[in-house]
Amino acid sequence: MSEVAITVGDRSIRTINQEIQAALADGHSVRVKDTLSRHNLGIGLPAGAEVRFEGSVGYYCAGLNNGATVEIERNAGWGTGEAMASGHITVNGYSGMSVGASMLGGTIHVRGDCGPRCGAAMKGGDIIVEGKLGYQSGFMAHAGRIIALGGAGASCADALWDGQVWVLGDIESLGVDTQVVEPEPEEAASVETLLAGYGLDDSAHDWRKVISSQRLWYFESRDASAWLMI
Amino acid sequence: MCGIAGRILQGYGAVGNDLVELMDAQAHRGADSTGFAIYSELCETGYKLRLIGFSRPHLDSDLDDFAHILRTHGADYLAEPVIDDSPDRHYSVRLLISEPTDLSHWIQDADLISDRIEVQSLGKSLEIIKDVGDAQMVADKHGVRELAGTHGLGHARLATESSVLPTASHPFWARPFPDVAIVHNGQITDYYSWRKRLQQQGYRFMTENDSELIAVWVSDQMNKGLSREEALSKSISAIDGVFTFMISDNHGIGFAKDRFAMNPLVTVEDGGELAAATEEQAVRRVVRDECHVVNYDGPSLTQTWAVGPHTVAA
Repeated sequence: MSEVAITVGDRSIRTINQEIQAALADGHSVRVKDTLSRHNLGIGLPAGAEVRFEGSVGYYCAGLNNGATVEIERNAGWGTGEAMASGHITVNGYSGMSVGASMLGGTIHVRGDCGPRCGAAMKGGDIIVEGKLGYQSGFMAHAGRIIALGGAGASCADALWDGQVWVLGDIESLGVDTQVVEPEPEEAASVETLLAGYGLDDSAHDWRKVISSQRLWYFESRDASAWLMI
Repeated sequence: MCGIAGRILQGYGAVGNDLVELMDAQAHRGADSTGFAIYSELCETGYKLRLIGFSRPHLDSDLDDFAHILRTHGADYLAEPVIDDSPDRHYSVRLLISEPTDLSHWIQDADLISDRIEVQSLGKSLEIIKDVGDAQMVADKHGVRELAGTHGLGHARLATESSVLPTASHPFWARPFPDVAIVHNGQITDYYSWRKRLQQQGYRFMTENDSELIAVWVSDQMNKGLSREEALSKSISAIDGVFTFMISDNHGIGFAKDRFAMNPLVTVEDGGELAAATEEQAVRRVVRDECHVVNYDGPSLTQTWAVGPHTVAA
């Protein structure tokens, strides 16, 4: 599989995305250059594709990913991998607000920290953050796992629905309607198996698993104060 | 969803051009109106004024009345007014005036004809240029790219709270505090009650725009003895709503962000210069190379940046 280089610069994003899709359809891998932190690069990439973004990207990079392997060399803006169905995304630097929002499956691996509301409304898949989770991580997540190796910011797992937030290190504060539970050995083993794929596993990890307390699954007016934590 | 920007240069330079680039890159965030606050060379005596008049056919009589009020306060024009020559009904004026005997009294009197002609900015250095349309349109009409200075702010507006009018655009001047301007991305929800309290202290608001409050609120807090940093921190608990705003004066730029962390700010500090914007891709218009980007993504944040050979003053 030969590699095709595509330059972003000041060109139209629609044209660039069409060029990426065409190169992938011809069986090439793609290297995207001079990204200038621009938005909406590499949307709806197909299964089996390999795309590497040199430098930093803007909002919604690799959104609606359908099975591609994507690497972002530096930082990513808001909504990286939003609503992705499958595939894998690596962000080597910082990932901005709402990385993996509404994702259905696949994995996102962030080597740095991430911004607020990581995995907001996610419905499946895994987000691994080597650094620190931002504010309100996992906000209203329905399913899936967020796994953070560098602690979590305030309001962690706020209003979590039925996903899981796994944290090593300090949690600044927990969000509304959450509880920290001791993970079952087989659950922890499953997390370590996932991390082993990135050389991040360690049997000495002391996990805190944050899940929903399920008190707010059905809103009742007497619970109103529980929602008004902020 | 608006877009904001800030720029500090190490010396006197093409700050107007940089701010137009920063705002052109964010025109998709709102193109109802666009505005710029430019800090150019300090005038040793008197003030720089920017005015907007609402009816070009009445320009001469408006300016006559404006000059008359100015003279009753012991001041006068230092140069002929510069007026835009567009076909628009509203008109923009740049004025240099000598010092009125009492600045706030004169502004009160000048505002008596603000239904015809309204002061948009006043300062030793500050000039606010704002109009309806996107960054290119406003820049072309008012020659913003050619304006030199040390620092400034930019704003692209998607109108939510009030009408699309040149005067309801950002930046807002902190009437009557010389040289203070703000740009705001977000929405203030308790601005009416705050305005009422400030009006009772004698402040005057010219538009129905929620953001106009912020400039006066911060300046009032500083007037009561708080430092800029203290006033910015206090704004996070005192003002209700979602906001990331930047405030500028002759000494630099500060910013504050609310508890909900919905409105981003991205900065690059490079060789004593600052480029700040809502979106990173806008900053990259003026800092093309891969660089160290700071994302102010968390809740309840403030920061200030000084003009000149500066360090970050936390």
